[in-house]
Amino acid sequence: MPDSRPTDGAELPAREGSSEAWFFCLRVLGGRYAFEAPLVTEVVRLGPLTRLPAAPSFLPGVFTHRGEVLPVLDIGQLVGHTAVPIRPSTRAALVHCGPWKVAVVSESVEGLVVIPRRALEPPPAESTGVAEFLSAVGRDRHGTVAILDLARLVETARARAVPSGSGHS
Amino acid sequence: MTAETTEILVFQVGASAFAAVVHDAVRIGSVRDVPAEELVVGSALGMPFERTRGIVVAAGEAQERTLVVDQVLGVRSLPAEDVHPLPPLAAACLSSGAVTGFVVMDGAPTLLIDLRALVREHPAAPHKRAA
Repeated sequence: MPDSRPTDGAELPAREGSSEAWFFCLRVLGGRYAFEAPLVTEVVRLGPLTRLPAAPSFLPGVFTHRGEVLPVLDIGQLVGHTAVPIRPSTRAALVHCGPWKVAVVSESVEGLVVIPRRALEPPPAESTGVAEFLSAVGRDRHGTVAILDLARLVETARARAVPSGSGHS
Repeated sequence: MTAETTEILVFQVGASAFAAVVHDAVRIGSVRDVPAEELVVGSALGMPFERTRGIVVAAGEAQERTLVVDQVLGVRSLPAEDVHPLPPLAAACLSSGAVTGFVVMDGAPTLLIDLRALVREHPAAPHKRAA
């Protein structure tokens, strides 16, 4: 399972006071989605998935990587669209934020993108669809990039998976 | 120096293999003579293909329930480092509290099931009254 480290060979500039922001970009359902670059620790090819019983569709399974069991998150399913196809060649970005470490499955990995801070805008005010998971929307020379907020993604995933009052913690 | 190990019971429900701590199982046997109200047939683990084998689990208050499985694949002794808790996101999103973690066998994660919690999630069916 060949891996690549997204920051190999790329010294990230100091974020504070910089006029540019660095993101790690994935293609999901035909769109460009990105996380803040420091949150993405690695890109891996998904090994065989172990399906989870009683799991929501956006959590298609887990796999082992370097002896660690990691959950796979399908953003496409979470926002109510179609699933990202999972094949032996499918790659996922390992995203780490606080206690949460997930493998975000993608159709393809674009890699690091640099966006001038002045080109970052607040996400659309819609409260449905992917807009509710965005922290910003940016533009570079390849087009629009939706910047994902992992903490919000995870909180929404938890809320959708466990109906309030069900008793599970 | 002896490495710490865990005895794991490996069983199959439907097409999937699962693991449980061996001490959770009271015994293993045929389900042919088990009253229907003591059987747990469909659970969070899915439906078995057949109703032939069962794992008997203590369900508290001197009660026993039998989880219907397709096969008992055996008992394996695994080093403690091959037993993993659920990743936090999975723990937060699963609707069954019976899935407690994973054991890594032959490089692949196999779900670790708390058998007592699993049968507790399925209240016993009421006794059928005679017509």
